[in-house]
Amino acid sequence: MAMKHRIRKKNNTKRIEIDNISSHFDVNLSNELEANKKEVFRLLGNSSDVETRAFQLGKIHPVNAAIIFLEGLIDKEIVQNYLLNPIINDLRGTNANEKIPDVQQLYQYIKNFNITTAELTEISNFKTLLQHLLAGDTILLIDGVNKGFAVGARGAKERGVEEPTTQRVVRGPKDAFTETISVNIALIRKRIKDPNLWLESFVYGTKTQTKVTIAYIHGIVNPGVVEEVKSRLDKMDIDAILESGYVEELIQDETYTPFPTMINSERPDAISAGLLEGKVAILVDGTPFVLLVPALFLDFFQSNEDYYQRSDISSLIRALRFIAFFLALLTPSTYIALTTFHQEMIPTTLLISLAAQREGIPFPAVVEALLMEVTFEILREAGIRLPSAVGSAISIVGALVLGQAAVDAGIVSATMVIVVSLTAISSFIFPSYNLAISVRMLRFPFMIMAATFGLFGIFIGLLILTLHLSSLRSFGIPYMSPFAPFISNDQKDAVFRAPRWKLRTRPRLINQRNTIREDSQRPMPDKKG
Amino acid sequence: MSTLFKLFISLFICISLTGCWSSEELTEITLATGLAIDKDDEDGFKVTIQVVNPTEIAGDQISNRSSVVIYSATGKTIFEAIRKLTKASPRRVHLSHLQVVIFGEEFAREGIGETIDYLVRDHGFRTDFHMVIAKDTTGEELISVITPLEKIPAQRITASIQSSQNFWAPTKEVQLYELFESMTSTGKEAVMTGVYMVGDPEIGKTVQNVTQSDPPVKTRLNSIGIFNGDKLIGWLSEKESKGFNYITNNINNTVGWVECEDGGKISLETTNSDTKLKGSFVNGHPKITVETNITVNVGEISCSIDLSIPESIKEIEKKLEQKTVDLINSSVNAAKEFNSDIFGFGSVLRKSQPKQWEKIKGNWPEHFQQTEIKANVTIEINQSGSITTPIYDDVMEKTGSGG
Repeated sequence: MAMKHRIRKKNNTKRIEIDNISSHFDVNLSNELEANKKEVFRLLGNSSDVETRAFQLGKIHPVNAAIIFLEGLIDKEIVQNYLLNPIINDLRGTNANEKIPDVQQLYQYIKNFNITTAELTEISNFKTLLQHLLAGDTILLIDGVNKGFAVGARGAKERGVEEPTTQRVVRGPKDAFTETISVNIALIRKRIKDPNLWLESFVYGTKTQTKVTIAYIHGIVNPGVVEEVKSRLDKMDIDAILESGYVEELIQDETYTPFPTMINSERPDAISAGLLEGKVAILVDGTPFVLLVPALFLDFFQSNEDYYQRSDISSLIRALRFIAFFLALLTPSTYIALTTFHQEMIPTTLLISLAAQREGIPFPAVVEALLMEVTFEILREAGIRLPSAVGSAISIVGALVLGQAAVDAGIVSATMVIVVSLTAISSFIFPSYNLAISVRMLRFPFMIMAATFGLFGIFIGLLILTLHLSSLRSFGIPYMSPFAPFISNDQKDAVFRAPRWKLRTRPRLINQRNTIREDSQRPMPDKKG
Repeated sequence: MSTLFKLFISLFICISLTGCWSSEELTEITLATGLAIDKDDEDGFKVTIQVVNPTEIAGDQISNRSSVVIYSATGKTIFEAIRKLTKASPRRVHLSHLQVVIFGEEFAREGIGETIDYLVRDHGFRTDFHMVIAKDTTGEELISVITPLEKIPAQRITASIQSSQNFWAPTKEVQLYELFESMTSTGKEAVMTGVYMVGDPEIGKTVQNVTQSDPPVKTRLNSIGIFNGDKLIGWLSEKESKGFNYITNNINNTVGWVECEDGGKISLETTNSDTKLKGSFVNGHPKITVETNITVNVGEISCSIDLSIPESIKEIEKKLEQKTVDLINSSVNAAKEFNSDIFGFGSVLRKSQPKQWEKIKGNWPEHFQQTEIKANVTIEINQSGSITTPIYDDVMEKTGSGG
């Protein structure tokens, strides 16, 4: 009975409430200014940030008019100079009715000759009025007309374009996306001046009315993927979207996987590079993190800096990331497996040194490892949340108290501290934070497998991991490509990055139609003499 | 959801029921580095192990306790004796890090076959340990000697076998599979390096042994011991051992000398030696040709000789060639005396002349005696070192003119 009640509540009660309100919004504007104003105030619950300014058009037979706006969301300069100033000044001293006998004509006159802003929308019902008002437009209402204007004079405080804080590079552009979607789109447009860069915008979130824009390059993108993205977005039914993570979780292929199947980046150059490979970007208003699909496992190992540095350097660094992936994933588990199951695999001198350190440690290796790993995870999480002023305290506590003191006290062995540090450092090398989190999570099951079955357990774990990775798909593209399925042509930009002149084709699976990127040749010096 | 739950439960049961099956924490085991096998008059076998005390070797605070501990036990079989060791040792003995297996000479003369079976069969061994014979003593006494420099005495033995094989040559590293193979195959007999000890064994067991710069008790490498089947039958001299290594292509680097005309000596360092054995039958008698190519450097000259003259170089080469041939022949003669084909001439014949080998296979020891061995040695002097003319000349000149 209780169960039934809960389901009913979930599905029906709330929905009815929302529908009532939105149907109420659909009412058309009336002819009377005062009534319209009153209704707007009523619908917004007389909120304190809703402001209005009443004025009159003409002097002899004045027509009442008013603007309504939300404090803080408009640019008052624009409203004064390009809305109020032309209207009031132009009609001042004249008989409004005399100059323009009909109110309808006055309305047209204002629209055509007075308002000088670029964005101007006519509104006729409360629903659109509220949409514009809440988005930061200024609403102009004239008495006697059952229509109004939404003037685009938004001026909410925005953060400027700053340096990216998450995906830093040594060489490469230093701009990052901001919280404003229009700025973000502009940052992409600035890079790709191609008419084929197409954008489609939608609004999702019944409460937040968040603008979501998908961007792709027509002719390069696989149209199937665009359709898939659109249809998945359409199926979203959510009241609020505050960050692109909301969208990601609702439209990703697989929920129960530790691996990310969508890329997120706050770097416009990274997103542009993705678009040029034939991927689809999903921009969400209110967050600097733009999503990019389809995502391959490999993408999380690639930094956009790989393409800015020379290929030999990039290849080495990329190979290093793969090594670090396995180090971060397997170091603690291998340590556990070797010291508790396969002592014969450790060189004698090393084993004697390990045994000497373990002498007097009260815990088994696995408990010791779990203890240190969990401690480190706590430290790391604390480091992110801490106010920067006390940030150094964490490093002192972490390094000295937990590292040195724990060894001195004989609770953990010095080697364990090295193992944990190595793991930690290795997990910081990935250009994508997503994958680092996956590895952090997976480390623990591997440690348990190692503690129960030794190296055998680690290999079972790796087998399961490989099977799982191979079964994943991101918007129809196999997650492990170009390794599984193996695509020899795409190996040029996989573990290693080939020189620029060899990167002539786009990834095969992501982009099936327009694969040739450029026709460039290997640079050759002219042979003279 | 329910599938996932079932999967989780089954995995959980799998992991928790097996527990940490066969896991051993480092604090629960003790590492054996040396194993000595001797004859016991009552039980048959006496096994002695040398286990390390890790904190004494790699710990932070090193006291003056012994870095190794010795435990012994006797048994009717090796396996039984080794298991009996747990009565003496507080922890389970882990044999995977064994560095050396020492057979007492008395035991080796009676045959080591049964022990080899255990060492090969048991999966707890890593098969890269060295095997030596305790010459004129028991393995137990030898393994108990505490040695300077290397904190683990077993490691001292393996390290000195390796360095002696690489830089001096009259010893040979013998590992389990090689021994096993040469003991069981026809046409080859086993060898093993001998180790002996100088001084009072009782002092050797104490830490006092390493408190002096010249320890009263030392372990020394001897030359090579010859086997017939699984029984030790005799020892080669140092010279013969060297010859043995030349024949079996086991020379990395060694030093030899030749005499000058005026009585001084020239030391020559062998930097490369390559031997090929060719087997043939002459009138039904087996014949082995030993083709050895040796590259040497001049190491030391204590006589008057001008190396810039090609003839003098030739002369040295000739002399060294003759010396090496003698070395090889003496080694072959010694082996013939013991009637043990330690060089593997039989297997050379089997590979080159399989049909004729089949005929004499059963009677190989007899035929080995009659085998003609021809040594062809080619020496090439490669470098004369940092100086060409001997300092000896300059000294002679000075004392001659000054006096």
